[in-house]
Amino acid sequence: MDTRQLIVDTATKIFSDHVDKTLLDAAERGKFPDALWQLVVANGFHQLGSQDSGTDEADLFAFLTVCGQFAVPLPLAETLLANRWLGADDTLASIGLAADTRVNEVLWGRSAARVLGVRSGSDEVLVSVVPIVVTESTNMGGEPTDEVELGDPVIINVSPDPYAQLALTRLNLMAGCLQAQLDLGIQFATERSQFGRTISKFQAIQHSLAIVAAEVAAAKRAADAAVDAFHDPRFVLEVAAAKSRVGEAVGIVAEQVHQVHGAMGFTHEHRLHHFSRRTWAWRDAWGNEFEWQEKLGRHLANLGADEVWDFIATRN
Amino acid sequence: MAITLRCLKELGDVMLQFDRISLQEETEVLRAEVRRFLDCHRAHFEHPNSDFSTGHDPAFSRKLGEQGWIGMTWPKAYGGSESSFFERYVITEEVLAAGAPVSAHWIADRQSGPLLLRFGTDAQKDFYLPQITRGEAYFSIGMSEPDTGSDLASVRTTADKDGDNYRINGTKIWTTDAHRNDYIICLVRTAPQTENRHAGLSQIIVDLRNDGVDVRPIANMAGGEDFNEVVFDDVVVPADRIVGDPGNGWEQVTSELSYERSGPERFLSAFRVFVELVRACGPAPAPHQAAAIGRIAASIMTMRRMSISVAGMLENQKDASVEAALVKELGNNFEKLLPEIARMALPSGVEQSLYRRTYEETMLLSPSFTLRGGTREILRGVIARGLGLR
Ligand SMILES: Cc1cc2nc3c(=O)[nH]c(=O)nc-3n(C[C@H](O)[C@H](O)[C@H](O)COP(=O)(O)OP(=O)(O)OC[C@H]3O[C@@H](n4cnc5c(N)ncnc54)[C@H](O)[C@@H]3O)c2cc1C
Repeated sequence: MDTRQLIVDTATKIFSDHVDKTLLDAAERGKFPDALWQLVVANGFHQLGSQDSGTDEADLFAFLTVCGQFAVPLPLAETLLANRWLGADDTLASIGLAADTRVNEVLWGRSAARVLGVRSGSDEVLVSVVPIVVTESTNMGGEPTDEVELGDPVIINVSPDPYAQLALTRLNLMAGCLQAQLDLGIQFATERSQFGRTISKFQAIQHSLAIVAAEVAAAKRAADAAVDAFHDPRFVLEVAAAKSRVGEAVGIVAEQVHQVHGAMGFTHEHRLHHFSRRTWAWRDAWGNEFEWQEKLGRHLANLGADEVWDFIATRN
Repeated sequence: MAITLRCLKELGDVMLQFDRISLQEETEVLRAEVRRFLDCHRAHFEHPNSDFSTGHDPAFSRKLGEQGWIGMTWPKAYGGSESSFFERYVITEEVLAAGAPVSAHWIADRQSGPLLLRFGTDAQKDFYLPQITRGEAYFSIGMSEPDTGSDLASVRTTADKDGDNYRINGTKIWTTDAHRNDYIICLVRTAPQTENRHAGLSQIIVDLRNDGVDVRPIANMAGGEDFNEVVFDDVVVPADRIVGDPGNGWEQVTSELSYERSGPERFLSAFRVFVELVRACGPAPAPHQAAAIGRIAASIMTMRRMSISVAGMLENQKDASVEAALVKELGNNFEKLLPEIARMALPSGVEQSLYRRTYEETMLLSPSFTLRGGTREILRGVIARGLGLR
């Protein structure tokens, strides 16, 4: 078995044992899942893709897909990227969108030892080891997201494009999280009975889940392609394409899977909303579909009509 | 690593795989070659259309045949070049993206040939396959009938054994290009229907020019006459025209469908609308125009990769029926969405002549995209079965 599969299998095992509804609810109320974080560190997951870790960025993003599948309530995408950019340590890091030294939507900013600020279109990243939390809040995914002032920031340069790397984390998280919604939909449909049979026997339900399966498959293929382009000159454009396509899948999947679940899926008690709300939050994070589509579209318009096919069919 | 849809264990580990495959260097050499070829033969498609069923041009098909680009995965003995499915993929996507006229040989290359290769007799292979690879023999699909659409097992056309011959009676309908092609492979009943609806069906080759069938073109809503009613009134053909074993028709027909469903023709039909949209928007598009262009490109890039993954499954002789249905489901819906996105990106009333013509032509064809080759509803059923729901 190759390393990546081993990482994926181990992470799947650990998260399926430890990330349950109780933990997710507590995290959404702002309680940091410390025991889970310790497990992550003990298994070395926080250093995946860092120098000297013996793993690469493809391992990192494969791991994030698993995180998305379990809605793991930790800023692992941020910590992994920070460790990759700065050199690994065992502390929690987070990253937000920077406007000067004020950084917004910092996931678990309140618990982070290091906070980084990233801007669209810039390779400069601000790093602070003395972050000051200005306001605490929560996004629609139930993730603690804080506004942070970066104390004594230093500037580092990151390549490839750091903003696109953050978008890439979100679309891998989404790919995993969409998979979880499909799984929940299939599970519910094969368990719930009405009119004397399981609702999975109704063609309308079958078609809804078929639509979901197609979207999930597309989202996963798109996310993988963006990861594969990490060292490619087209990286930003591949992320643009993938963030657009995966973001489109989110609306369709959540809508269909909630419909399949009936009223039960609308309750707080059911798990589904942890996944659907997160994908709604993530499709807007680090550039929504429109932002990335426009970027890709400008590039193609500039190439010209007779070159668009070549762009699409170029091997990478 | 395989991308896997991991469904629930209790359902028996459903895996839908779309492997991350990137095309190899060799295919890119071939791509450059086919592009040069297309450049030299633009006269055959002054008005390009990416829908595989438009543009029946035997002269162009023969030229492709001369290049060795028809039946290219088949054995050399039959005029093939034993190329990979990836190489075939590159040829098909390049001719479609360019909007070249490919409908004459398309069905023979995509499914009739592979069917004969797999189930045909040596004599059939020797006779038909070399003509196909030369781009000289064109095939139609004889599945649908007036009372048989999605429920294909209900076909009523009969072929009764009569000495050394079969006597065929019945009507096929919606048969694309039967009035232009040479042969039709018909799904017929060779034994009366029993409890098992799939038993007693066979596939038989009929010569559209010489066997005395009555072909009546049917005008479509787009103003074309591409599909037909094909009437068999005591048409007599030699018994050796049966493909495979009599009674094995159902298995054969279903095996054709993975070839039929996953190719680039399932998401590129509207591609020229995209090209003309980009042209009409110019080098400095407004934000909503740029976003429309980016949105379309993003979808095509993803489906193309999924389709290449399926080509990889075919290359490795894996059963790709569910994956193929998934690609067709996504692709056909997208082909319909593309003109809808395009029209909102351009102000109406502005004269964009080439764009408008391409858009209107595609819009008028678009209702067929989710019907031909198995309707959207039928495909969703195939996917649902793959998910373990039925
Ligand atoms: C342009 C074009 C070219 C074609 N070329 C050929 C050809 O060359 N050879 C050939 O044999 N055929 C050809 N066809 C026919 C095509 O295969 C059929 O249209 C298709 O199989 C559907 O059959 P139908 O049109 O009779 O629709 P029906 O089967 O009557 O379906 C009508 C509607 O009911 C839905 N429906 C049917 N059954 C179910 C079900 N079980 N569950 C849910 N919904 C259902 C369908 O999805 C559809 O929406 C062509 C069709 C088109 C449009």
